[in-house]
Amino acid sequence: MTSAAWSMMLMVTGNAILFHAIPRVSRPDILFAVTVPEVFARGAGRALVSRFRAIVWSGAVAALAIILLFPSPESRSGPGAWLPMGVVAGNMIVALAAWLWAHRKARAYAVAPPAVRVASLAARDTSLPGGALVAAGPFAILLATALVVYTFRGEALGAPGTIEPFQWLAFGGVYVAMSLVMAVSMARRTRQIAIDGPAAVAEERYRRVNVLVPVLIGYGVAIQLSAAAVESIPAFAGSLSGRSWLMMMPMMLVNFGVMFWMFRVGQGGQRAVAPAARQEIHGDATPDHAWKVGGLWYFNPRDPAIWVENRIGPGYGLNMGNPRTWLLIVGLILVQMTAARLLF
Amino acid sequence: MGSLRVTLNLESPVPAYRQIADDLRRHLVDGRLKPGDLLPPIRQLALDLGVHFNTVALAYRLLADEGWLVLKRRRGATVIARNAPRAVDRRQVDHLLRQLGHIAAQLRSAGMSSRQIASALRRVAEGAQS
Repeated sequence: MTSAAWSMMLMVTGNAILFHAIPRVSRPDILFAVTVPEVFARGAGRALVSRFRAIVWSGAVAALAIILLFPSPESRSGPGAWLPMGVVAGNMIVALAAWLWAHRKARAYAVAPPAVRVASLAARDTSLPGGALVAAGPFAILLATALVVYTFRGEALGAPGTIEPFQWLAFGGVYVAMSLVMAVSMARRTRQIAIDGPAAVAEERYRRVNVLVPVLIGYGVAIQLSAAAVESIPAFAGSLSGRSWLMMMPMMLVNFGVMFWMFRVGQGGQRAVAPAARQEIHGDATPDHAWKVGGLWYFNPRDPAIWVENRIGPGYGLNMGNPRTWLLIVGLILVQMTAARLLF
Repeated sequence: MGSLRVTLNLESPVPAYRQIADDLRRHLVDGRLKPGDLLPPIRQLALDLGVHFNTVALAYRLLADEGWLVLKRRRGATVIARNAPRAVDRRQVDHLLRQLGHIAAQLRSAGMSSRQIASALRRVAEGAQS
């Protein structure tokens, strides 16, 4: 079997595992992106989840069988080369269709959003995890690297096959700044749904862990670009070769751990909270009708939130109906484009 | 201010900003919100209640006009020691008493006796002493 076939099999299996787990990620009373009574989600709704999973795994098994029975040719040309790609795409389509089918079924049990909304007056921690010191870390790494590059500028700039270190470091700084803007926006512009008690504590913890992700991405970018910049100096050439991934390892492990934890505790950390502690909470304080394409997009111009909890998958997504969201997106793209144009 | 909360009923005929102001005033009158306490930033409270920022800003401004809060840029709203009005605002009191009359009539039509209404009013008034 070719390596391409192996990677296709891996993709199909990974896709099936992901879709298998996704219904488990949402809040306890959200099923297939629909707000339902928790009693239903815990009872009859489980049969719906089982049927959804059966379809997903049937599609995956069929895709794996096709890959095994009709091995793709070694050459990348000809109609046969497209078969594995088509099988992977087909498998994805089956999983998405199964989701849409389950979503439509769950809508029959949807509950109306509560007419009463409650907000806490308690102070909330909207700072970045670790504060300004942790946020400044990637900039310090990039600055220190820039100093090293400057010290060896005579050698580095004349050497063949080098990257333009200062430009990349400056671009890295812009990218890190954008990651921090995302983190700050997420910390401040997400809604607190639980009012008090363990449910509120779990929700706050969940938000802070999510905010940590863009901060860590900033560290990852700073480390990678710094490693590349240092490698471009002849005096250090080869000193990091094959070892730069070691520096990324902790970052990747943390990201993997965060993802695993998010799947385990569910959206807002609410699956880790006893049902008695979240009796006052219903859904995720967003109306079902504002979720489009089976819960993929949130579009609600009447909602002041920029970030809302995803209904498919873990973490937060954007409210595409809020003009401020577009300001954020367009602003970030413009900054990135301007920086790229000025630097390269 | 551990579990202090603001409630907003979307089906109520009372405007949202007034519901928010009424809830906050109740906490202020009851003494659960004390001078020096910080209220959540306008954007945060609006976000949590799912209303426009201006709705919360209007509620805060209403309470600031009544002398309960001081609004500062960046620091948000802070509760201040409120001096009781020197003279009774006759017009406002008449208006509120008229409203109370309507509520009393509604309570009577809901089956409460005059004595029960009086007792309930006394409880409410005593609870509102700061």
